[in-house]
Amino acid sequence: MALDNIPRLGCGRSIDSIWASIDRSPTAHEEQCKQCQTARIQLERLSAATRALRESDLHDPALRPRPGIKNAIMDVARAEVRRGSRILLRAADNGATEISEQALSSLVRFAAAAIPGVHSRRCRIEIRPASAGLASEDHQSGTTGTATPAGPRLIVNLRVAAAPGIDIPVMAEALRQEISNAIPAGVGIAAGTVNITVEDLYDV
Amino acid sequence: MSDPPLQGAIITSQLIASLATRTTLETPGVLRIEPSVQGFLARLGPAALRHVRTSGSQDGTYRHDGVTATISDGTARVHLDIATDIMYTALDVAEAVQQRVRESISHTGLAPGAVDITILAIEHRRGTTIT
Repeated sequence: MALDNIPRLGCGRSIDSIWASIDRSPTAHEEQCKQCQTARIQLERLSAATRALRESDLHDPALRPRPGIKNAIMDVARAEVRRGSRILLRAADNGATEISEQALSSLVRFAAAAIPGVHSRRCRIEIRPASAGLASEDHQSGTTGTATPAGPRLIVNLRVAAAPGIDIPVMAEALRQEISNAIPAGVGIAAGTVNITVEDLYDV
Repeated sequence: MSDPPLQGAIITSQLIASLATRTTLETPGVLRIEPSVQGFLARLGPAALRHVRTSGSQDGTYRHDGVTATISDGTARVHLDIATDIMYTALDVAEAVQQRVRESISHTGLAPGAVDITILAIEHRRGTTIT
């Protein structure tokens, strides 16, 4: 038999259940039960004291965080998100260099922002490790190949919304070109494959 | 009569981390070292840090705000989480940081080991305009 350590009134109700509903009107049982009524009166005092303390803490200057603390917390939170998925750029005796997928995504978004009539949405980046023979590999359909330093081969998958009336093939090619230039310039590796999906039109 | 020379200097992983931090922040193209939860709590006070302190801090490894330094068998290894300026090529910045940190470590008398770098963000420097 399980031990029941929850304090109970003579009527069988637990103090916890009365406390949980202290902000609501008494139930039909509580209106009839003397023990429940007594418990409610005492718990209402405790509830009022708790609310007063909470309110006091909210306005207590001594408990107010120092200026900049919210920004510091947000900086940490953003950094923790960026620490998620990483791509190995280079491994050498001096040490390895990795880049977070978030950093690459933001670079792609910066590049996309330069193209009028495009709103970036989801950006996913896949990676193929650097391997011999890449230089002679034929570019796949839809890719923009540039003569860039050797390294891992990226597959950028960017979803965008386009302005109505825009010439989508022209916009997509301009966007692909912008991304293909931004990654070697910003990171130092080839852009690889840049897949663009126009998934929506947005209202201007 | 001169004092006898010291038999050895005490170079701690904390000192290496501090050296690496300073060297990294002085490297052109580095915006900042990315903060960590542990480093943030350390700034709040030792009481907050006590809850997250791991046994790793006692095995020759020191971690603070995106910098991890380890000394083992006379070799110092460093890992850095950095944010770089979009106006620079991130791989070139990382390579410069590796060279500079290794050089700084060599001045301590320890052998420089691997300096691993993770680029967590590429951003515009605050105050610059995006064209």
